[in-house]
Parts: sequence; C-alpha cells; structure tokens
Amino acid sequence: MAQQGHMQAGSTAVLDEPVLGPGQNYETITESVAQIPLSSRTPLGWVFGFLIGLGGLMMLQMAIGWLLLRGVGIWGNNVPVGWAFDIINFVWWIGIGHAGTLISAILLLFKQQWRMSISRFAEAMTIFAVACAALFPLLHTGRPWLAAYWLFPYPNTMGLWPQFRSPLIWDVFAVSTYATVSVVFWIVGLIPDLATMRDRAVSKVKKHVFGVLALGWRGSARHWHRYEVATLILAGLSTPLVLSVHTVVSFDFAVSVLPGWHATIFPPYFVAGAIYSGFAMVLTLAIPIRAAYGLEHLITMKHIDNMAKVMLATALIVGYGYVMEAFFAWYSAAPYERYMMFNRMTGPYGWTYWLLIFVNIGLVQLLWLRSVRYNTKLLFVLSLIFNVGMWLERFVIIVTSLHRDFLPSSWDMYYPTRWDFMMFFGTIGLFLTLFFLFIRFVPMIAMFEVRTLLPEAKVHVDHGPTGGH
Amino acid sequence: MTTETYQAPDSVSGLQTKGIGTAVLGLLLTGAGFAMAGLDRFYEAYLVAYVFWVGVSLGSLALLMVHHLSGGAWGVVIRRPLEAATRTLPLMAVLFLPIVAGMGHLYHWTHADAVAADPIMQAKEAYLNAPFFLARQVFYFACWIVMATLLNRWSAEQDRTGDPALAVKMARLSGGGLLVFGLTVTFAAVDWTMSVNPHWFSTIWGMLYMVGQGLSALAFVIAVLVMLSTVPPLDRVVNASHLHDLGKLLFAFLMLWAYLSFSQFIIIYSANLAEEIPHYLVRSAGGWQWVGWSLVLLHFALPYGLLLARDTKRNFNRLRVIAMWVVVIRLLDYYWHVAPEFHTTGLSVTLVDVALPIALGGIFVAVFAAQLKGRPLLPLQDPGLAKALTHHTH
Amino acid sequence: MHVHEEKTGLYGLMAEFDQAQPLVDAAVAVMGAGYSKVEAYSPFPIEELNDIIHRKRTILPKLVLGAGLTGMASGFALQYGTSVLAYPLNVGGRPLATWTAWVVPSYELTILFAALTAAVGMIALNGLPQPYHPVFNVERFDRASSDKFFLVVEAADPRFQKDETTRLLEGLGAKGVYDVAE
Repeated sequence: MAQQGHMQAGSTAVLDEPVLGPGQNYETITESVAQIPLSSRTPLGWVFGFLIGLGGLMMLQMAIGWLLLRGVGIWGNNVPVGWAFDIINFVWWIGIGHAGTLISAILLLFKQQWRMSISRFAEAMTIFAVACAALFPLLHTGRPWLAAYWLFPYPNTMGLWPQFRSPLIWDVFAVSTYATVSVVFWIVGLIPDLATMRDRAVSKVKKHVFGVLALGWRGSARHWHRYEVATLILAGLSTPLVLSVHTVVSFDFAVSVLPGWHATIFPPYFVAGAIYSGFAMVLTLAIPIRAAYGLEHLITMKHIDNMAKVMLATALIVGYGYVMEAFFAWYSAAPYERYMMFNRMTGPYGWTYWLLIFVNIGLVQLLWLRSVRYNTKLLFVLSLIFNVGMWLERFVIIVTSLHRDFLPSSWDMYYPTRWDFMMFFGTIGLFLTLFFLFIRFVPMIAMFEVRTLLPEAKVHVDHGPTGGH
Repeated sequence: MTTETYQAPDSVSGLQTKGIGTAVLGLLLTGAGFAMAGLDRFYEAYLVAYVFWVGVSLGSLALLMVHHLSGGAWGVVIRRPLEAATRTLPLMAVLFLPIVAGMGHLYHWTHADAVAADPIMQAKEAYLNAPFFLARQVFYFACWIVMATLLNRWSAEQDRTGDPALAVKMARLSGGGLLVFGLTVTFAAVDWTMSVNPHWFSTIWGMLYMVGQGLSALAFVIAVLVMLSTVPPLDRVVNASHLHDLGKLLFAFLMLWAYLSFSQFIIIYSANLAEEIPHYLVRSAGGWQWVGWSLVLLHFALPYGLLLARDTKRNFNRLRVIAMWVVVIRLLDYYWHVAPEFHTTGLSVTLVDVALPIALGGIFVAVFAAQLKGRPLLPLQDPGLAKALTHHTH
Repeated sequence: MHVHEEKTGLYGLMAEFDQAQPLVDAAVAVMGAGYSKVEAYSPFPIEELNDIIHRKRTILPKLVLGAGLTGMASGFALQYGTSVLAYPLNVGGRPLATWTAWVVPSYELTILFAALTAAVGMIALNGLPQPYHPVFNVERFDRASSDKFFLVVEAADPRFQKDETTRLLEGLGAKGVYDVAE
C-alpha cells in the first residue's frame, strides 16, 4: 500500500500538473480577466507597446502608398526571383496563424483542458496574422482593386474566369475560408464573455456597446446546449480546414516543376512548420502578457511547458522534412534536383540554409530539457529565434530555388529593397496594433471556459425520489 | 489498489488455434499457387504480404511509444495488445529472409548488367546496392527489436514492482525512439517498396508508411480489444467511452492516410514530370485504375463515412467490423504500391497474391495470441490505470 | 386557470443558487414535481441541464451536414460551369473537367458553408439577437454571467402557483426567490 501511495504521488507530479493556479473561484477568474478591458486606467506599458505598433503601421501605410503610386518595381523582385518577400511573408504570417486554430479546435477535440485559457488570444493572433498575410498577395497583384475578378469567380464583362487548376486560386478559396471561419469561431467564442462584460460594466457607454455585441445572451440551458454543439462542430470543421490551408499554401510551390519546390513531402512538412512557428508566436505573446497582467494563475507553467513540447514535436517533423529533401534530392538522381540542393548548401545563399539548420534542427533540441521549458525568459528569447528560423526557411525555399533558373544565362541574385523591409516590418506593426487593441478592449481569456476547470463546476445528476424520468 | 490480475481468457488460446489453422490453410494455398504461377510471382506476393503484416508490428511499436509519451485512457486499454504485437518483431525479422532470397527478382538494381546500362541506377548505386541494403535491414531490425524489447521488459517490471521511475524511463525512450522509428521506417519504405522501381521517388513515401502502419496497428488492436471485451475479465473494463476514443483515432488515421495519399497524387499529377508521372500512368490503365478507385471508395470513403456517426464509434460490434475491414483493406494499398511495377501492362492477380497474406497472417496472429496470453491484459501498475477504468465521456 | 397573474405582469419566479450542483438538483426536483416551463441559467455550460429540462438535442448537426453537402455541390458546379461550359481552356492537355484539381476549392466551400451554418444556426435557433427578455428585469441576474446560478419557473406553466412554487424553490436551497416582471 505504501508503495501504491508513493506511486500515486509520483505520477501526480508527472502527469497532473494544474492548469489553474491555487485558490481560484468563479469570481476571481472573472474579475482578473474582466477588469482589464473594463478598467478606465490604461497601463503605461500598454501605451508604449501600442505606440510602437502604431509606428510600424504608419510605416506600412507609407510603403503601401508608395507601392500603389510607383508599382511593384520598388520591390527587389525581378527575373528570375519573381516571388520573394511578398510570398515569404505571406507564408510566414499564415503559418503563425495556424497555432491559434490548433489550440482552439484540435485541442478541443482532444479534450485538452490546458487550451482553455490560451485559446482566446491565440485565436485573435490567428485572425490578425491572416490579415497581415492577406495583404501581401493582394498588393503583389499591383492593382488590388482589380483583383476581384482575378481572384474570385465574378462574372465580368470579359467573360474570364479564374483558372481552377491553379493552386493560386485554391489559395484564394482556402485563405478566405480560413479567415471567415476563424473570425466566426472567435466571435461565437466571445458571446458568453461579452454578456459577462455587459453585466459587469459600470460605464453606460461600455454597458451599451457590450450589450449590443452580446446579442442578448442569457446563458440558459437551451442556449448552452446549442452553443456547445455549435462549438464542437466548428472545431470539427476547423481542424481539417487548418490542415488544408497550409497544405494548399504548400501546393503553391509543390505542384510546380521547379526543383526545390516540387516535393511530395511539402504538405505535411509545411503544416508542421506552420504549427511550430505559430506556437513560437503564442509564446512570444503569452510570456510577457501573463507577467504584465498578473495572469500566472490562469496561464500556468503547465501551459508554457506544453506549448514548448508541441514546438519541439513539430520542429522534429520539420527537421525530418529537411532530411527528406536533402536525401531525395540525391536519391532522385535528377541533375537539376541534385544541383538545387548543392547550391542551397554551398551557393551564395548557403549561409541562410545553415543558419536555418542551426536554428530549426540544432537550437530547438534545447527544448528536450525541462529546465529550458521552465525558464520563461530563455524560452521567450528562443521563441523569437524560432520565428526568425521559420522565416528563414521560407526564404531558403523560395529564393534559393528561384535564383538558379533552368537557363544559366538567367541566373541572378536577389536583394530586398528598403520597401520590402518596410512592408514586412510594417505588417508586424499592424499585427501589434491590432493585438494591443485586442488586449485592451476584449476579454483575452475565455472566462466561461476557465470556470469549468474549477472542481465545483463538476456536477452529477442524482434522480431523487421525486425524479425518475 | 486492485487485486485483479486480468488473466487472458480462453478466447485468446482460441485465437492462437485459429491462427495456426489459418496459417496451415494459407500455406497449402500458397503451395498450390506456387505450383501454378512459379517463383517470381511468389516473391512479388510475398513482398506485399510481408510489408502488410510487418506494418501491424511496427505500427504497434509507434502507437505504444506515442502512448508512453502522451498517456490517456485510449492507450491504457490497448497497451497489452500493442506490446504483444511488438513482440512479434523477432519473428518478422526471420520472415524477412525470403525477400533476401528473392532480391534478384524483386529489385532490378541488384543486377550489375542492368545498372551498367542505366545512368540513373548508376547514380544511385551508393545507396541501392546489395551489401548496403542488407546492412540497412540488419540495422533497422536491430533498432526496432531493441526498442520493443526494452519497452516490454520495463513494462513487465512495472507490473511486478510498480516503480514510478519505469513510466518515466519508458517515456524517455519513446521520445527518442519515435525519432529513430520515423527515420528507420522511412528508409525501410524506400528499400522495400520504392526501390522496386529504382527510377521513381517521392519524398512523402516514408510518412505514408508511418501513417499506414499506424492505421493497420490501430485497426488490428481495436478488433482484438472488442473481442476481449465480450468475456471476463475485460467485459467489466472496456466501455463505450474507450471505444469512442479509439474510434476517433481510427477516423483521424484514415483521414491522415487519405490526406497524404491525395497530396502525393495531386502534386505528381499536376507537375506531370517525366521522372515521376509513370508511377500514376501505369496505375491508371490496364485495370489498375479499378484498384485505385477501390482504394478511394473502400479504404477511405466507406469506413470514413461510417465512422462519421457518433453511434458507430460507440457500438462494439459495428466498430469491430469496421476495424477488421480496415485491417483487410490495408492489403490493397500495399498491393497498389508494389504489384503494378511488375505488371505494367495490366492488372494480374494469382492465387499466391491472396494465399500469402493469409499464411503470414495466420502465423502473425498465432504468435501474437501466444504473446498476448503470457501477460495480464491490462498494465497493472500503469499510472493512468485507475483513471482509465473509470473513463467516461459523452 | 391563473389568468389574473398575467394581468399582474408576472413572467415567473427566479431562484438563485450559489453553486452548480444545487441548481442541477433543483432542476431535477422541479421537473420531477411536474413543471414544464422551466429554464436554468448558468455562467458556463452544464450539459446535464439540457438533458434534465429540455430532454431533446438540437437539430443543428443535421442543418450543418446539409449545408456542407450543398457547399460541396456548389463548388463542383461552379468549377464545372466556369471551366467546362463558360470558358473551356486547354491547359497542358488536361481534361476540361479536372475533378482532381477541383477537389480543393469544393472542399473549402464545404467547410465554409457548414461553418457559417453552424454559427448562424446556433444564434438563430437561440433566438438571438434578442435585446429584451424578462429575466433581465431581476437585478441579481447580472451575476448569471459571472458566478451565480438561476432557475426560472414561468407563470405560464400550468402547475404554477405563486405561493406553492415559491415554497418549493425555497425548500430546494435557493439563496433567494425573486419575482420576474413581464
């Protein structure tokens, strides 16, 4: 028996770390989340961060303005590297978005309770990241106001239709569906919490705004039943959707005939890379936010640890992808494939490849160590580096494959211009602006879900003597 | 906590007997088929049958390691069937020998004159040559058998002592083990089936095999678990919630298999490159296209559509039938990978193609059942056992 | 039977509970006592309450399945219409009806239609947006979205009798029983 007890204690320590800090009840959970948007005091740190974001956003506006005046010639893209920063940044942002859907949908299906306190802001991250991503292909068309009939099946006077055999049009369908469903899922998830905000707001304006947004939610048993069914369905639909989105993004490259792009491993390897970079971004955001707003009891070390583990697992799949690319480039015995890999490793951009390997295959192995996963400062720095690593991956795939054309006379180097960098850092500004607005005005943790983690939220039905139905 | 020992019921011995009977029947049929079609057809069929059954063992090893890492009630109830399946790996290593004997027919790249006349095979010679091939096989089986042996030994030790350090040890091995598994299975898949056509390549092939093996193993142990759940001692343990979880996993694996297969197809189809497209050109004519359509309908649409309903996943009998169907239909996928390469002009099936999977299956099941009854049917000291026994979901 | 109560403008009686378990027990008891127009309110989903009070599952999954199939059919129809009928274009000798490539947009439309139906269907079946509801007339109901649990028996219930119902609710451990104005 003594041994049994010992085993129980040991296993509890290993498996059942709490996803909720000690001493919580319904009111403490609600208050610690709801007071952030309801408070009239704006923390100085928030103002500071928001201004940085706003600065970036202004830079973006300038970059877009100049782009629309002068055309895409202001970017560094040119033959043979016709796709560069625009698609690198697009894939990078879309990939980041994937972690939010993974947390809110896939982990919901797997009944992972640790998702609850991070799902709301991870989903917000998804929406903002997709918004940043969508800017790039749209602006790369040069005249985005004409893009409606290039992208969508719109019956125009020239009788032209999109080319449905092209992965680029698949991308339009995938990304716009993804953006729509993510927004819908997020708003549905917000409704009960908006009702809480309505009921707790003191200022008349806030009470009215939240009141309209809450749609008159009452939290009746019938409401909740339909709500839970709808949420499960949305999760069930979002799961294959999120896998399809990065799969379709990978098709943009893989269905071409270009060595370095055309590889059947691309779909699963892109999806894994997306989740890896997305979790890196969630950590980049979660670690400072939980410290700044004192939310350590809701976003616990268990959450941080689990996210680090997911990053490790997906990074290993990404690493597997790199190994497969290299091996099959050789095994294919196709001279173009072999040259592509040789050039990627030893050509003029070789340093980007080895930096990428150092980060995504080398550095990420640190996450095997518990001491690293539990060191939030180190993990924060690592998460930034992993984001850079995944950006580099797309750079390597896109630029090194393109800059050596089939025709050696077309070989050339690609150098981004200042406008490329301004666009890229500008979208980071847009992302930060939206995110700071979100944490100031919207409850950033799903209060109603976290309440269900409390032991007193568990009920059992006892059909007493008067029951018996 | 529990005094129950969960001894295997008589039905496991019955399964063993059935396995032996099936093996004898299969071998007799194989003999007849061999007499009809000759040695070459035997080797071709043997390769498919072997890859099919070794997939159950290897998939079980992977699922076992995933369970040691993730925990969860779904894994506790199937841990012993999974472990028993991994203990067939030494047998599978021995059963590989006929493939070694048939290398000359199965693998074109073993012929020096053919290589001398083919620049592509020459370029791959550093990898595709008989000594290195054999060395790799020894290495793969050594890795798999060592991992399976350690996990099984520690598991037995855990039953006896309940030492909590063992669960941690098994989780540690599984973390690195899955990495080793992924790489070895990938290269094994290249060796066994991709190199049947030494010109063709596809980078997703390894992943397709990992998922296919996971699917085979999961379907196999679900069928075994439902069989065990009809009689004591597991009839009081296994409930609809366990099956629901396993059914969802089966559903996910089916989806993943379809996803990877379709991805490979659409990428090769769209690019239409001379290096790769022959793979699908051969398979879209001469009757082979019906095998492909059967895969879409019978390997994906049918079980997927049935598993969509919540009730199917919670119904013991229906889930067992679907699981057994998936085990069987997996054969068609491997057949589709291998057979068209030997019969590029058109579909060609002989008796050995059916007889050998039956024969190897009988042997596999008999050894599996013998292994299964040697240990308690539940891991007695698994840290998640108590939770698994009271597992209930809606 | 109790026509006069409608004139007084009473919507029903609301009982307040501190915890989820007493609410569930009270719901079982009230339903057991033969009431039918009952509703429970909680700050988080308690799936058991729907089984106790309403006893039927929503039709939402069927609507979603229908919408998903419609989306898939629209996807294939759209692509067939534009690529085969409206503007046939030979690309690399592939068939005009390239169903393999069409799988992707049709798949996305399946999910789009289904997801929008799930969200809009949930809101519509719940009768939202609904700016006014009598339960909001009770001041304490502000807490229904934070930490308190409520059970409402409507005056329109054939078994409703104000005094008797109040006593029943108080006997079930309610922290307070309030009149809900119409």
